[in-house]
Amino acid sequence: MSVQVPDELKETITVTNLDFVVEKLSEMLSPVVSPLVSPVANWARSNSVWPLTFGTSCCAIEMMSVGMSAFDISRFGSEVFRATPRQADLIITAGTITRKMAPALITLYEQLPEPKYVIAMGACTVTGGMFNDSYSVVQGVDRIIPVDVYLPGCPPRPEGILDALLKLQQKIRTQSLEDRRKKGNSEMRPVRYVDYDTGRPMEDLIEEAKALTAQDIKDIAG
Amino acid sequence: MTTEQAKPEETPNLTPGVFGQFLAEHDISSTRLPDSTGVETIEVTTANLEMALKRLRNSAETRLDFLVTVSGVDAGDNIESVYHLWSYEHTKELVIKVRVPKSQLGADGLALVPTTSTYWSAANWHERETFDLVGIRYVGHPYMRRILNPWDWEGYPLRHDYKQPVDALNDKNPFSFR
Repeated sequence: MSVQVPDELKETITVTNLDFVVEKLSEMLSPVVSPLVSPVANWARSNSVWPLTFGTSCCAIEMMSVGMSAFDISRFGSEVFRATPRQADLIITAGTITRKMAPALITLYEQLPEPKYVIAMGACTVTGGMFNDSYSVVQGVDRIIPVDVYLPGCPPRPEGILDALLKLQQKIRTQSLEDRRKKGNSEMRPVRYVDYDTGRPMEDLIEEAKALTAQDIKDIAG
Repeated sequence: MTTEQAKPEETPNLTPGVFGQFLAEHDISSTRLPDSTGVETIEVTTANLEMALKRLRNSAETRLDFLVTVSGVDAGDNIESVYHLWSYEHTKELVIKVRVPKSQLGADGLALVPTTSTYWSAANWHERETFDLVGIRYVGHPYMRRILNPWDWEGYPLRHDYKQPVDALNDKNPFSFR
């Protein structure tokens, strides 16, 4: 079985033989079925990409205007912007991501169900933008989450957002879900975790904690 | 630029302006500083700050009831806390500065200034921001904690001697042209 039930949930979750059989059957049939089904499935998925309402800064204004009737985004399938990440499958990071915001964005990204996509909108999320040499702005959101489409602009016009959405739809249509699952979701994992209290990457803090000697621990503990 | 022009730092004693005279009538000594873009600027000691602000707010001749902002400046030798006041009734502005020399900083490198948030609640978040960015500790503030940077951030970014930490989140991209 591909998914093992973790120990603490073994009492509540039972995987029966029927689930096993269904899984094996789908594995056997997939070379036959998926070339027929997956183009249709991918077309359906690409034409109904629902974004999450995520706007931190000025690019959010352009995202709002692309959601309104003049530059309608719902004619491309993004009928609604979901407020909860559990029901969305796209984050358009519209706005500057600071170190204080980074843990929240990572949490939202992890809460999106797979398959999930990210459009990095605006110069600030592509490579830090006008806050190039800043102590508190993350220089490009691809340092914390994996990005599918980069959309430069400050801010990009609503038609630019639509262009990025079309490129993303093209990507969804040409990428098969089987491959994505087989890679073990390595594409859909945050690149780096950021600590909530200090705003620094977790690796740095872990290194510091490992480098603490016994004397340091006594000093801190008092 | 000829060398005959006097340096602007050594200001001759400026005549007290309207608000300076008003404060002098109420026994609060203040020094007049060069105008900030046309607005009268006075300096007050930390001990007189509360009395001065309350008098300016409450008296009928100078009803400066709008505290526009509380900010901080790292000015070379001093750290200054700057208060901008505005009067709706008389439509007049005033800038008050409180200077703390860097030689008189507290134990953790913070300048100590009495808080205005107990009697002027508009100053609450402004003082938290000034504490976060310039490192002025407002004594008596109910919730003196960082507001813009993460909670456990080290250092005060708007000071001139601040070195920003470079880690995986903001180091230079190897393909950058800068």
